[in-house]
Amino acid sequence: MSAEIQEVRDFLAAHHPFDLLPAEVLGDVARSVQITYARRGTVLMKPGDKVDTLYVVRTGAVETRDPDGHLLARPCEGECFGVRALLRGGVAVNRIEVIEDSLLYSLSAVLFQQLRQDYSSFSYFFAAFDGGRIGDAMKVNAKDVDFLTKQVSELLTREPVTCTPDIDVRQAAQHMRDKRVSCLLITDDQGSLSGILTDRDLRGRVVAEGLDYTTPVTRVMTPNPRCVQAETLVFDAMLLMSRHNIHHLPVLKDGAVAGCLTTSTVVDSQSASPLYMAKKVHGATEVAQLKAVISQVPSLVEGLASQGANTHGIGHVVSALTDAVAVRLIHLAEAKFGPAPVPYAWLAAGSQARQEQTAVSDQDNCVILHDSYDPVAHGPYFKQVMQFVSDGLNECGYVYCPGEMMATTDKWRQPLAVWHDYFRRWIEEPDPKALMLSSIFFDLRLIHGDASLFDDLLGNVLEKCRKNRIFQAYMATNALTHRPPIGFFRNLVLISGGDHDHTMDLKHNGIVPIVDLARVYALAGGIKAVNTFERLEAAREAKVLSTDGADDLRDALEFISMIRLRHQAGRIREGLAADNYVSPDELSSFDRSHLKAAFAVVKTLQAALASAYQLGRF
Amino acid sequence: MLAKFLGPDMARWVLGWRSPPGPLKDYYRTDTATEDKPYTQVEMLAVDIETTGLDAEKDEIVSIGFVPIINGRIILAEAQHHLVRPDGKVGDEAAKVHRLLDDQLQSAAPIADILPLFLAALRGRFGVAHHALVERGFLSRACRQVWGQKLEVPFLDTLALEHRLMTRRNQSIADGALKLASCRDRYGLPRLRVHDALSDALGCAELLLAQAAHCSGKKPAAMRDLLE
Repeated sequence: MSAEIQEVRDFLAAHHPFDLLPAEVLGDVARSVQITYARRGTVLMKPGDKVDTLYVVRTGAVETRDPDGHLLARPCEGECFGVRALLRGGVAVNRIEVIEDSLLYSLSAVLFQQLRQDYSSFSYFFAAFDGGRIGDAMKVNAKDVDFLTKQVSELLTREPVTCTPDIDVRQAAQHMRDKRVSCLLITDDQGSLSGILTDRDLRGRVVAEGLDYTTPVTRVMTPNPRCVQAETLVFDAMLLMSRHNIHHLPVLKDGAVAGCLTTSTVVDSQSASPLYMAKKVHGATEVAQLKAVISQVPSLVEGLASQGANTHGIGHVVSALTDAVAVRLIHLAEAKFGPAPVPYAWLAAGSQARQEQTAVSDQDNCVILHDSYDPVAHGPYFKQVMQFVSDGLNECGYVYCPGEMMATTDKWRQPLAVWHDYFRRWIEEPDPKALMLSSIFFDLRLIHGDASLFDDLLGNVLEKCRKNRIFQAYMATNALTHRPPIGFFRNLVLISGGDHDHTMDLKHNGIVPIVDLARVYALAGGIKAVNTFERLEAAREAKVLSTDGADDLRDALEFISMIRLRHQAGRIREGLAADNYVSPDELSSFDRSHLKAAFAVVKTLQAALASAYQLGRF
Repeated sequence: MLAKFLGPDMARWVLGWRSPPGPLKDYYRTDTATEDKPYTQVEMLAVDIETTGLDAEKDEIVSIGFVPIINGRIILAEAQHHLVRPDGKVGDEAAKVHRLLDDQLQSAAPIADILPLFLAALRGRFGVAHHALVERGFLSRACRQVWGQKLEVPFLDTLALEHRLMTRRNQSIADGALKLASCRDRYGLPRLRVHDALSDALGCAELLLAQAAHCSGKKPAAMRDLLE
């Protein structure tokens, strides 16, 4: 019987996820630790190496990079590494190098797997590692899901997609494509489940193995897969999925296949209450009612964030509510002042247009009027309507734009021809200062009115932008105004002094730089999308941006936004106003190192942009 | 004396031959690795004892902790910690230092029961201790009492090693600079919060790994370079 060493036990007990283990198990874990010391520069694993231990940094720090050299993480004191290798059958996927002399604890792979199997919370912590880049760090926070009472059957949205066992893999794949599903349930004559085939199986067991397309589906499917009953609690189903690392879970009801639960259906199911809010907006007849609904937005955001929704999703939900309020106000105005005398389009600009609002913020909007507009005959009507809408938004909390970028400003309520002329001047005779102010108008989205007016303008603008490299260079210069708060030595650069001493402005130095980069890519690629995530995706497809660049920026944006959102949710819970100033002290070392990695991504892509447009020359 | 005339290996052989059958003889019959081996390819046992005083001839061992280092890895699963029942009373001073109470010690096993466990763990391994003189002296006397023969162990002394390393680097050696905690600080090793024989043995084992890593170039240091 070996003796327990209290130092080791205490250390593990103070760190996640070991703190989740019961006391007696923790003692066994501590007893089984092996300790090594590695000097800076030691390479602990390279892709392809066999790995049979989980490492925990006792002191020091290491660096994990993927095979392309991208920095994934910098585990330091109390953090684990080697996890991905263990989750992938004991073969290293990344390169791990010691960057500070380190004392390392290691645990055997056998023990690690045993703990994952026996303790779901422990397993859940590591589930987050089994994906890839920075983005994964976020899932760790998705644990407090309020699914204790919901049944799996409530989440099933469609009939199960099934097939008989006599088809071949090609037919199976065609079926999956036609039905747009990522998994196929194979049922026998009696309709009972005999196997499951997923996208991943087609990749791993058919294509990678070089099997013939006429291979019977029964040869590559997973026979007798794990499944749950329709009455199973969603919570339990989620645990099952995470414990066994499966993404598809067939659901049975009375012995027959009732559907298939996927990880995404589980996540999607969480937006129930915003739908309810949207319904109330549509039914409102007075501004006061709208205000009452919108006053719930902070707690909605807080709730979604604590349920682990991603910021992309939250941005959509909050922006959709803003849209609904605007549309409702326009309807109320039209009811009050009568229908519009000429067609027009009411457009949102800025973050609402990008569907990236995570809080109630300033209103930015404008109006394109039909060219038949007559200022004398129609002017007063539109001025009144827009004033009503803008006042209503202001009352709901979408305060007047300090720069007056609103449809109430005469300059931003103009006929189509005038708008064409605005954009022509911005693009063909760019003036840096004017561009900085007008960049908000390069993120526009139709909220209400005549789509053809907007399409006409947008098509022309995109075409002009795509062809004009000098204009793009100006926009690129613009995109470099805000820099990530990271120094030469990868240290976080903090605001010093003032109200926000010892913090970082995650909006202006974290999110805005990425939004600005995406805008340049979009304009250079003639891309219609305005949402930053969609722009990055489209830029990748248009080959304006490398696949790695797009992935990295997306993950960086998601991560920075998530940190900001969590900070804001925390402030809301404490009854404070949400702001963007995050102190590194409120972050775990895990988050801090990921945040640094995210900032480093932004810095790298800003540098790439500068060199692509040779911005030194402007 | 024996070692001086005969060399360590011969001395061990003689001691083994003189020892009565049992744990001490078994210990001597098992060879340790040769000193030209890199430290990452040998077995060691880090050991620490707590005593009633500093005089190896008069004072007694009250606890012992040890943990093996095999191929450069400290194996906690094989760590052991034992309280030892002394023949006499524990002095107030020592009790205060070790936070061990007479009551606790009175229910512990005598050294004759503990030594076999220690010797079994030590077989084929180099000893590692911080200021090994103490461990060497006390353990040897205990063996003499139990089996009539002394204990001769090739000890790697982390204190002596640190002294050599600091001298080599032209560092001045201040008072207390060679204490276990100060040495550990120098390598960025964590502060130990618990002080018992096993924690200190582990502390010493970790220090050795750090020292050895710093003595190594492209290839890991040989035992010879670490021993004396």
